[in-house]
Amino acid sequence: MKLTRSWLDDFVSIPSQDPNDLVEAFESMGHEIEDWHVIEPAFTGVVVGRVLEVAAHPNADKVRIATVDVGIEILEIICGAWNFEAGAIVPVAVPGAILGEDFEITRRVIRGITSHGMICSEVELGLGDEADGIMVLNGDYPHAVSAIGKDFASVVGLPDTYYEINVTPNRPDCLSVYGLARDLSALYQIPLRDHHIDVEESGAPNDVAVTIDVPELCGRFAGRRVRDITVGPSPHWIRWRLTQAGIRPISNVVDASNYAMVEFGYPTHAFDVDRLGTNIVVRLAAEDEHIVTLDERERSLTPSDLVVTDGITPVAIGGVMGGAATEVHLGTSDVFIEAAHWDPATILVSSQRLGLGSEASKRFERGADPSFCALAADRVAQLLALTAGGKAAPNPVDEDPAAIAPWTISYPLSETSRILGIAIDSATTTDLLTRMSFGVEGIDPLSVTVPTRRPDIEKPIDLVEEIARLHGFDSIPATVPSGPGGGLPYEEKRIRTIREVMVGAGFYQTMTFSFIGAHDLDRLSLPDSHPARSAIPVVNPLNETEGVMRTTLIPGLLKAADSALGRTSNEVRLFEVGKVFLDGPNAIPDQPERLGFILAGDPESRWHSEASEFTVFDGTGTWEVVADALNVHDGSLRQSSLPMFHPGRCAQILMGEDVVGTVGELHPEVASAFGLAGRVVIGEVELSKLVAERGPWTYVPPSVFPPVVFDMAFIVDKAVAAQAVVDVARTAATDLLESVTVFDVFEGGSIDVARKSIALRFWLRAPDRTLSEAETGPVLRNIAQAVETHLGGELRGAV
Amino acid sequence: MTHLEELLAVAPSRISEAMTIAELDALDAEFVGRSSAIAAARRSLGEIADGAERGLAGKSINQIATQISALLDARRSDLLGAQESRRLSEDAVDVTLPGRRIPRGTHHLVQSTMDEIVDIFVGLGYTVATGPEAETEYYNFTALNIPRTHPSRLESDTLYLDYGGKKDEVLLRTHTSPMQARYMEKHDPPTFVVVPGRVFRSDAVDATHSPVFTQLEGLAVDTNITLADLKGTLASFAQQFFGTDTKVKFIPHYFPFTEPSAEMHAYTNGRWIELLGCGMVNPAVFENVGYDPAVYTGFAFGMGMERMAMVRHGITDLRTLLASDRRVLEQYR
Repeated sequence: MKLTRSWLDDFVSIPSQDPNDLVEAFESMGHEIEDWHVIEPAFTGVVVGRVLEVAAHPNADKVRIATVDVGIEILEIICGAWNFEAGAIVPVAVPGAILGEDFEITRRVIRGITSHGMICSEVELGLGDEADGIMVLNGDYPHAVSAIGKDFASVVGLPDTYYEINVTPNRPDCLSVYGLARDLSALYQIPLRDHHIDVEESGAPNDVAVTIDVPELCGRFAGRRVRDITVGPSPHWIRWRLTQAGIRPISNVVDASNYAMVEFGYPTHAFDVDRLGTNIVVRLAAEDEHIVTLDERERSLTPSDLVVTDGITPVAIGGVMGGAATEVHLGTSDVFIEAAHWDPATILVSSQRLGLGSEASKRFERGADPSFCALAADRVAQLLALTAGGKAAPNPVDEDPAAIAPWTISYPLSETSRILGIAIDSATTTDLLTRMSFGVEGIDPLSVTVPTRRPDIEKPIDLVEEIARLHGFDSIPATVPSGPGGGLPYEEKRIRTIREVMVGAGFYQTMTFSFIGAHDLDRLSLPDSHPARSAIPVVNPLNETEGVMRTTLIPGLLKAADSALGRTSNEVRLFEVGKVFLDGPNAIPDQPERLGFILAGDPESRWHSEASEFTVFDGTGTWEVVADALNVHDGSLRQSSLPMFHPGRCAQILMGEDVVGTVGELHPEVASAFGLAGRVVIGEVELSKLVAERGPWTYVPPSVFPPVVFDMAFIVDKAVAAQAVVDVARTAATDLLESVTVFDVFEGGSIDVARKSIALRFWLRAPDRTLSEAETGPVLRNIAQAVETHLGGELRGAV
Repeated sequence: MTHLEELLAVAPSRISEAMTIAELDALDAEFVGRSSAIAAARRSLGEIADGAERGLAGKSINQIATQISALLDARRSDLLGAQESRRLSEDAVDVTLPGRRIPRGTHHLVQSTMDEIVDIFVGLGYTVATGPEAETEYYNFTALNIPRTHPSRLESDTLYLDYGGKKDEVLLRTHTSPMQARYMEKHDPPTFVVVPGRVFRSDAVDATHSPVFTQLEGLAVDTNITLADLKGTLASFAQQFFGTDTKVKFIPHYFPFTEPSAEMHAYTNGRWIELLGCGMVNPAVFENVGYDPAVYTGFAFGMGMERMAMVRHGITDLRTLLASDRRVLEQYR
């Protein structure tokens, strides 16, 4: 809602002239100020003058000499405009005046005669677009007649202040100058001026009749017949105010309708009666009905659209847009002004379907006050009398088959303290609500009658809001209650640990969008049957690259890595913790939380170690450090060949028997499809099992007896996984085994090319004694035997 | 002067001239070793018949041997000390070189902001819950008293998912508020909970918009929660997050799920900035989730984590937070 302070002044006498005070006043009433500024005149030294005489210039025939009374003197001014004669009241830039930034008016000689100033046009004064001729104030600003010699700026109401107000959806009544003035009058406790409109009626009674077939959707229909109008431009003050309100002036008829809408919040529509006829019927559109709207476009209607018809065919989409066939045109002299009350939900559906949201539909959608129907039509008629020579016909229309009446709410005063935390007594509450023109009776509970302009007020809680607003939020104290506690749930703590571990392991957290492009899944070379392929489409994506919900964090990480690589570092280490979206049988998609990470580019060289490349082991190591941090005992890796990964450098991550993730080097073709070169290490782990609550661990006292430590190296086929050797050895060792680690892997040398050597270090220890060779010897033999039996391993040596 | 006394006279200078352990070892052998003059003298003591005389001679030999040994030991200690000093001096390194370590990454600023704000509310006795990002239209709108015709339900505002054969029932939540309803359905009052999480809007990326951003929702419900509690709680939050002298003001606003509603503005960096939306839970929401609105009152609030981070750290373009640029990420310490 855009408006000027001077328009508000028509209805309330705001006590402060400081525009900042008004900003605060609006805000305290819940009207957020989007923008505001002081409108300064774009001129100085311009006064009001009266043209006493106009004479021809002896040496020029395109200009004339005007003799102008500017109060303290009579000036001769040479003027090129022809749209005025003696008696015209005009703005005069006297010598010394400045127009715009720096155009100074001086006396100057034009064809031998001195011009003592300049009579100005709108454009020259920065007051509009009208450049044909000077401003003649007689009709537009009648009070200028008594201001000869005075500052012209004050005649047009400058300086003024512009406000753009973000009116919340619950306050349709404040989509108007009058509505905002009412809020200010309640706040400042100053009177709101009456909006009574006098319409002088003349001529034959109106014979346009209105029939409403759908009273539940059109509860009231007021109309005014205005004859003898001359369509033309509006006076300057209307054009100027509309422009400030963000509405383009068009013609006196359209402008009158818009002016009344901004002023009182009620949209109206003017029909050309010669084209309309006299038989208006309001109904729902039929299937396959059409109308050409004012914008010259043919619209298909549906039975959910309200239409105004001439008895047969639609001439307007009710509350949304008029039709071209009955449009007011230059030759129109007889108009019918419609001010009807339309069902908000119906208007919303129609305007959205047709893409015809407008200032008018916005007001109907939110709920225009039906009590303003007749007033709005009267205001337009009054304006047309003033600006177009219109004559309002007697017998206006006012059909109200389903008039909305004010309603009453019972309000117990205890609600105030229960919700606001302060008690406000009955008298004060009554005063607050009365200021907003609510009817209030009784002591406690109060019986509050709500005017029809406030569809938002239906229940006691709505009145609490009203009371809080008027009493002021500042008057409410501030207290801090404490909750019962609970803190971070276990799973959230575990996720924080994971993030902390990742950061400690050198990764930067990233937060990529939750949607990806369908083609990203192609780029991953996933087979059609892969579960990640069943991505849920976004119905209305912002663009193709964000068309489906992510089923994996990997594409987002790859794109982030691609965009980050090479900017400031050749090394990328990123991780993300976020949800993926999986198709399923439930009401909403499954949305498991995952950890994803990527290592790409060349690891940065450091002075103490040679740069190498990232490999799968950086990935498995990352998993291991996460697993360690979360005290995961049953984690393991299983060599796998999976889509999108390097077939020989990929592992499934298991917890117990459950696969919880994948880690490996990306297949080079996939990497290059995402613009990445070299080895790219990727990991993705499902967090639900990882972060699931587990009881506290129990202390095990360490043995005080010495360990027996020995190494064994086995020669096995290259295909045998180290993990398999460890697992077999672990099973073969007895309870005496404290730990076993792989400490060396060796290929080549004297070893068969198809085989490799894996060296393990074993720690044996007993809780209650020092181990003897008689005990450890069999353990060694058992291990060697088992590795040979199960894995074809040959003991290369034992120490 | 006896032979041995002469030896004692020259020993100090000879020993002090030994510059290496090897030289000193040679002197050791020469002066006190098996074939030294002192050893020979000891061996020849037996030739002295007189017991007293023999005792005196032996004592004299021992004195000389002890003195020489002491000189040798002292010199040995000096030489070893110097050798160790030399070794350490050669072992010196440039300690200003970067230390040996795993480089450290960073949390995303939105994440650390969220963690910090969550912790503030945990300190006020709240618990933390998270909820689904793909949500039903019921929880996102209807349960929160947002009318069927509300424009926020339009595709121009809300991203819908083609799920379960329907295109208008599952959507990407437009706020974290659906968790208000989900949480209250499952938990009885007193309810003090914050809900951090991702939310979505049908907005193209620009300096102030992103289709994906992060909110934190708060909800406090009990038998006696008032607007005063709302004001105090959020003022306390602002002071903990932006600084103890942060001023706040509450401006009436409108949200369908709270009434009265307000926006909290904070005075920071020399100007008032709109921080968050809040209000008293609308009784209609309580009815939808099965809380008795005649018994319970509560407040709710929602704030954007990106906004909090931007205001506090002087970031003016939201796109900064979407970047994976190391120069940006490294600042998130």
